[in-house]
Amino acid sequence: MAKTSEIPVGASRRNEEPPESYFVPATDIYETEGELVIVADLPGVKPDALSVTVQDNVLEIRGAHPAPQKAPGEALLQEFAAGEFYRAFQLPADYDTEKVQAGLKQGVLTIRLPKSERLKPRRIEVKAE
Amino acid sequence: MALIRGWVPAPGPFGELQREVNRVFDAVFGKQLGAPGRIRAGYVYPPMNIWETGDGYVVACEVPGLEMADLEVYVAGDQLTVSGRRAEAVPEQGVTLHRRERDSGHFSRAITLPGPVDSTKTEATLADGVLTVRIPKAEEAKPKRITVHLEG
Repeated sequence: MAKTSEIPVGASRRNEEPPESYFVPATDIYETEGELVIVADLPGVKPDALSVTVQDNVLEIRGAHPAPQKAPGEALLQEFAAGEFYRAFQLPADYDTEKVQAGLKQGVLTIRLPKSERLKPRRIEVKAE
Repeated sequence: MALIRGWVPAPGPFGELQREVNRVFDAVFGKQLGAPGRIRAGYVYPPMNIWETGDGYVVACEVPGLEMADLEVYVAGDQLTVSGRRAEAVPEQGVTLHRRERDSGHFSRAITLPGPVDSTKTEATLADGVLTVRIPKAEEAKPKRITVHLEG
């Protein structure tokens, strides 16, 4: 079975142009017998600040890590920042993009794409002859 | 050309130096250096932002996927420790792996705060994968307004 591949920066195969500057969320992708599962770390992100689109087997994740409305005080250490994130993957053509499900829990996005019926493993009955 | 951001230089003179090195590096090698994930260079987990307010310190940590039950937050003396365990999202068996970039396993990070704190009034909250710890300063470390009396 074909694997998902990252769409390189600058490629024209995109649903929309990526932002000028962006973070790349760490992502796990795995496949079970029935579905493709994409898990991405999006700490601090709320569902209304996130968009997931699928078009012509290109999956795009975009949105923004929010900035605190007002800095609580003087910054002593800054290891993560607010800003836009973006990631695009080319999906194998074998998933039912009509039935895609996406959920966001504690800053982790999980997208489930069911395999089209044609591709699910089928047990073949063997008859004695 | 899109700029992929991986990490944020610290405030202050060392951060300035890092930013300058980044600018030179970007100019020579191009800007698409960012690896997936929020933080890479000088990688520590979890990444933290710390602010000092008049009354205390606010520490924010990015811990996506963790619940409060997976986290332990300790304040001892002037030291804050955040530890826990991040579960693996990918099932061990019966799957074909396409990509694994998210880290999993045990972690522990201890930081020393700049002054004495009151551990009994520390509050920790978790929202959208971000842990926020509010630690009040010890009474003797809080700024006090001195009333100036006019004499004569």
